[in-house]
Amino acid sequence: MSQTPSMRPVKGRLSEVVENLVDGSSEGRSKRVVEGRAPWRLAWARLRRDRVSMVSLGFIVFLILVAIFAPALTALIGHGPNTEYTNTGLSLSGIPVGPGHSGFILGTDDQGRDVLSRVIYGSRISLEVGVGSTGIALLIGVTIGLVAGFYGGLVDNVLARFMDVLLSFPVLLFALAIVARFGPSLGLVLVVVATFSWPYIGRLVRGQVISLREREFVEASRALGSSDLRIMFVEIVPNLVALAVIYATLLIPINIVLEATLSYLGLGVQPPTASWGNMIAEAQNGDLFTIAWWFLVFPCVALVLTTLAFNLLGDGLRDALDPRQGRTQLAPAKRASKRAPTPAAIEALP
Amino acid sequence: MTDSQVVERSAAATGNLLEVEDVTKHFPVGSHAMGRRSAEYVRAVDGVSLSLKGGETLGLVGESGCGKSTLARLISALYPLTSGHIRFKGKDIGHLSRRQMRPLRRSVQMVFQDPYGSLNPRRRVGSILSDPFAVHGLVPPSERKHEVQSLMERVGLSPEHFNRFPSEFSGGQRQRIGIARALALRPELIICDEPVSALDVSIQAQIINLLETLQDDFGLTYLFIAHDLSVVRHVSDRIAVMYLGKLVEVGPVEEIYTRSRHPYTASLLSAVPLPQSALRAQPKERVILTGDVPTPIRPPSGCRFHPRCPKAQAICATDEPVLEAKAQDSPNHVTACHFPVEPGELLARASRPGPEAPLGDAVRAPEAGA
Repeated sequence: MSQTPSMRPVKGRLSEVVENLVDGSSEGRSKRVVEGRAPWRLAWARLRRDRVSMVSLGFIVFLILVAIFAPALTALIGHGPNTEYTNTGLSLSGIPVGPGHSGFILGTDDQGRDVLSRVIYGSRISLEVGVGSTGIALLIGVTIGLVAGFYGGLVDNVLARFMDVLLSFPVLLFALAIVARFGPSLGLVLVVVATFSWPYIGRLVRGQVISLREREFVEASRALGSSDLRIMFVEIVPNLVALAVIYATLLIPINIVLEATLSYLGLGVQPPTASWGNMIAEAQNGDLFTIAWWFLVFPCVALVLTTLAFNLLGDGLRDALDPRQGRTQLAPAKRASKRAPTPAAIEALP
Repeated sequence: MTDSQVVERSAAATGNLLEVEDVTKHFPVGSHAMGRRSAEYVRAVDGVSLSLKGGETLGLVGESGCGKSTLARLISALYPLTSGHIRFKGKDIGHLSRRQMRPLRRSVQMVFQDPYGSLNPRRRVGSILSDPFAVHGLVPPSERKHEVQSLMERVGLSPEHFNRFPSEFSGGQRQRIGIARALALRPELIICDEPVSALDVSIQAQIINLLETLQDDFGLTYLFIAHDLSVVRHVSDRIAVMYLGKLVEVGPVEEIYTRSRHPYTASLLSAVPLPQSALRAQPKERVILTGDVPTPIRPPSGCRFHPRCPKAQAICATDEPVLEAKAQDSPNHVTACHFPVEPGELLARASRPGPEAPLGDAVRAPEAGA
């Protein structure tokens, strides 16, 4: 009788979380099909309990909505992002009006443009470049990492060295050179950012694939006669999704900052189109911001909050998704109870 | 007459399902980045010959690292051969391309040691078990679910659990899934690579019973690899003992267990722990080997066991003994030894004291606990 409670922790924990959070009903008794507790549902259940992650996720969803509905929002505010309100937006001596004055919620900049409208439009650029370049990086990184890790040998050597070369490139210098040749544009920023961020994903994926391809389930699939493609996409890729999701989430803020940096240096999005990077650059261009702090601070705040949200969500996702972290908590108890009864004599043989 | 005709004839004559002939597998040591070839090789399997008749179970035993698992993977064509021949029903399968190998995969399947590692944690069991049908295009997709469920039922799993993930099953249940996967294509030969050594003792018995039932029902042939000698004795018809990449003794199970001829087999068997009561009734000689297993990169000359053998003499270090039937043994009981153990001979007395005391302690330890 005393066995029942003592056995629970071994089998319980994970399933308890799900039972409480996912379905809450007892299962298995009925003859209906027993739905598996998908790793994703487990992860979602874990993520939902993490308040920081949920707040970050909420902020990101909010930001995405803002970016999508930017035209509607600025229409609602009544100020376009690029219109210079020289009459209402600037004082008689040419000083920008502060937050809350004359209907400018976050004030105006040195040209009398609405800071809020520009921050809203800037979110579009940041998300386009951040998410877009990360998407491209993910596609290239996973493909190259998969091929390099799976085939190993010479293929791996060539691809891994290539990634190392890209990672050791001075990104900004390279960007300067490219822009000097082709002229600044949003598309170019996207390409440059993607080019220099996929090797991060590629290296991680490669490492993961190298350990995955030695697993017995890959051998088992091979023993069944599966082709390389089938092994890669049916056996290995599902095990990479969690890793890719985590690191893509962490790569987005890096790429957003990279875009802002490029725009700040005048290599990216060109004025008057608003991007957080060039807003900061313009604000710093002169010393007006010492009096009118708002048109420097608000794009910075937007940038910081966005990168923070993505980073915190990425950390939360890692905790929720990374199976190794989940398992290291369970392993010691499980191992101890498994090992005890096996006869040590045979194992003790050298 | 072509080569293959000769091969077909010899298979018809012997009636063996599987013939392994002088098979070797050498792994290069260390990294060979940028195409540099290493000069040294691990001789994991170094000239092994054995045969399996249809319907029998051959137990393959030996210490960790002696090459049993490598041999298993060679037979199931997971590794390419370095040299030698593997014939399945007379057809040489050792040097086929992957495309040519595919139809043969249906006949030779494998059950893996680690029930946790051999199932993809991110895939549902139903999907894992429908793999064999999908890969070989045998069952139309609409009927796969039914086929999978009947497979699950066959190995003692609830068919309604097909939508679950491997993590939701116990070790024993997972091993049943592994067996179901091997069984799906109705193979003739199943290679069991330590199928129960990762399981609790109580579960081991269930899995072994399942394997035996399936053997009767489907007329399966097993190559059963294990290091648990009592398990091997229970399931096997014949036993092959492996040491450092070579077979040292092959014979019918009872003969090996009662009259082992190779000193290594004798010491291996004497290391099996017995309950205290059994020991009191019939005191047992325990042969404690000295030293470690030599490295398979540079195996000892002559008989590979000679540096640790209690009976070794000068000739053992120079001449390599061949597998042959020794005096009074039946012709199917072969031993590779210059000085086979005579029945009733006490080996422990001949055992030389070695410098490595900790090893002896490790072998003796469970005795104190029993």
